[in-house]
Amino acid sequence: MINWFAYLAAMAAIMLWLSWGKPFAISGIFIASGLAVGSLYALGGIGMVVLYRATGVLNFSSGAAGAAGAMIAWQVAKWGAWPPVAWASCILTAVILTVGYGRLVAPLLAWRDTVVKAVATLGFALIILGLVSFLWKDDPRSLVLPTDEIGARFLGLRVTVTRLIAFGACLGITLGIWLFLGRTETGLKMRAVANDRDLSALLGVPILKVETVAWLIAGLLAGFTGLMFANLIRLEPVVLTFMVIPSVAAALTGRLNNTALVLVGGLSMGVIESMLTLSPELKGVRPIAPFVIAALVLLYNQRAARLVFAERG
Amino acid sequence: MNAALFRITPTGWAGLAFAAFAFIVLPSVAGSFWLSVLTSAACFAMAASGVGFMYARLGMVSLTQVGLMGIGGWVALRLNYAFAFPFEVNLVVASIVTMAFGWLLALPALRLRGLYLALVTLMAAGGLEILFATFKFPNGGDGFWGVKLGSLEPFRGPALATTPEAYLRYVVACVTLGFLFIEAHLRLAPGRAWAMIRRSEAAAMAAGVNVTLYKTWAFGIAGLLAGAAGCLLAGSLGLLDSGTFRSPESIMIFALAVVGGARSWLGPIIASVLYRVVPAFLASWGVNTNLAYMIFGAGLLHALITAPNGIAGQIHEAAGMAARKLGWRP
Repeated sequence: MINWFAYLAAMAAIMLWLSWGKPFAISGIFIASGLAVGSLYALGGIGMVVLYRATGVLNFSSGAAGAAGAMIAWQVAKWGAWPPVAWASCILTAVILTVGYGRLVAPLLAWRDTVVKAVATLGFALIILGLVSFLWKDDPRSLVLPTDEIGARFLGLRVTVTRLIAFGACLGITLGIWLFLGRTETGLKMRAVANDRDLSALLGVPILKVETVAWLIAGLLAGFTGLMFANLIRLEPVVLTFMVIPSVAAALTGRLNNTALVLVGGLSMGVIESMLTLSPELKGVRPIAPFVIAALVLLYNQRAARLVFAERG
Repeated sequence: MNAALFRITPTGWAGLAFAAFAFIVLPSVAGSFWLSVLTSAACFAMAASGVGFMYARLGMVSLTQVGLMGIGGWVALRLNYAFAFPFEVNLVVASIVTMAFGWLLALPALRLRGLYLALVTLMAAGGLEILFATFKFPNGGDGFWGVKLGSLEPFRGPALATTPEAYLRYVVACVTLGFLFIEAHLRLAPGRAWAMIRRSEAAAMAAGVNVTLYKTWAFGIAGLLAGAAGCLLAGSLGLLDSGTFRSPESIMIFALAVVGGARSWLGPIIASVLYRVVPAFLASWGVNTNLAYMIFGAGLLHALITAPNGIAGQIHEAAGMAARKLGWRP
């Protein structure tokens, strides 16, 4: 608990330092934009943590699945489809790719080291990235949502509804996953599998089914974050594929197991990254914020650890 | 002196023969485009050998090797424009500075392992990518960062190699030395310590092996090779672009080191051919280079699922079977 407060205090101090002497109207804009991007880091990280806990797979291909979804959504919208169909096609694509990998390829590596399983998802990410870049040539594109034009006033600031959706969805989904894991039978089984896969199998937990649910959640979140990243950052397959790296950073702040910490970590990374724009010296290196924060949190968490014998997978 | 240190195995002979081929034949037959592709491939082979050896011998995944190459290249360019040292001095200093960075990166590795180690190196790669993109590589400007707009100052290459052909030979010689450096380590005390750590850290500790020291040492060697590779790449092009050292490239070089096979000299060669030569071939045939990504991805999955020793391992097995059939070996 002390660590939580220490982290929050440190983040608040950095934000205060960055916004010192600037009017709220200016720093507020960067906070709002940072919260939206940070929400997506957090959601990406949460998808990763849910899947990692249930299956032991750290999924580097979620960014690529989101990228494929976003490109399909762009294509469907270009064909003149009703916009919600385009958005649904993004999420559906990501779900099909993610669950497909989870059911067909992941079982072949079920008994390997976690690091081997994670590296294998990189292979899948490369396949998706290659295919998507092959199908859609390198042109400037953008994915516009109708909510980009609608603004809401909030504490005297104008915030686009897209950003509010990203932030609201992040809070809602985190709460939903917390309730799902804590209150439902499938959630209980998922926690059991996360805790000890072998014992859960002995107790009759249907491992395959539970894992499929985890892959499904991961796919849904990959699709949603892919769509929002494509709108808020850039619709470009390579960029979207490697947006997975800051999501990994967010997942690391939650030590790959605590979704609430991932939420706090992801949001604070987004806000600090955005607020670094206010600093004339540091604005050039602002995308470095998630990596520095994750590395520091990781080192802080490991400070008491000693080199001991390797644990099981 | 340890007699086994200088014993040349059949695989070793094959490696030396390949090095001789690359030294004598390749530079004479390649045109200017292929000379530049092959030089760059040789540099990446050196970097891939570092990351592959860490994975094969210690099971440590480093996703920041190309970032470390960038550090080596940065130091080499910085020294080149700041002082009048010969290229070889820059090469040695760049390698040593990058080795120190490797050690710095190894500090968390002392406590982290497996997935967490891979992730911390990925964070480092992400950070380095942004630093390179922001501060750029020195090109003869003033100040610490040494960047200026407009025309570039000339880069002093090695006095021994003033033509592109000679430079490819120079790089091949350096890469061969790098491979021999790893091989020598594997045959001496560090190799025995790494083998024991790979099998069981508990057993290694119980046997009195300093696990921390040898893990750090491995990181240092990978850093040293990456630094040298970065410097050689800078020497080939005379300048470096931050786009070369992005974090996806570090991921790719690790993936290809696994696909190629991390356990022998052939693996990094295959990795660098896949990384640099195959896309160049595809481009020269007018095939979309994005197909290379798909081939790499499928190759990585295939290697992880069915061929733990990669393509090089399969070639070794095939060569071994052929040799037995011909009665060359019992």
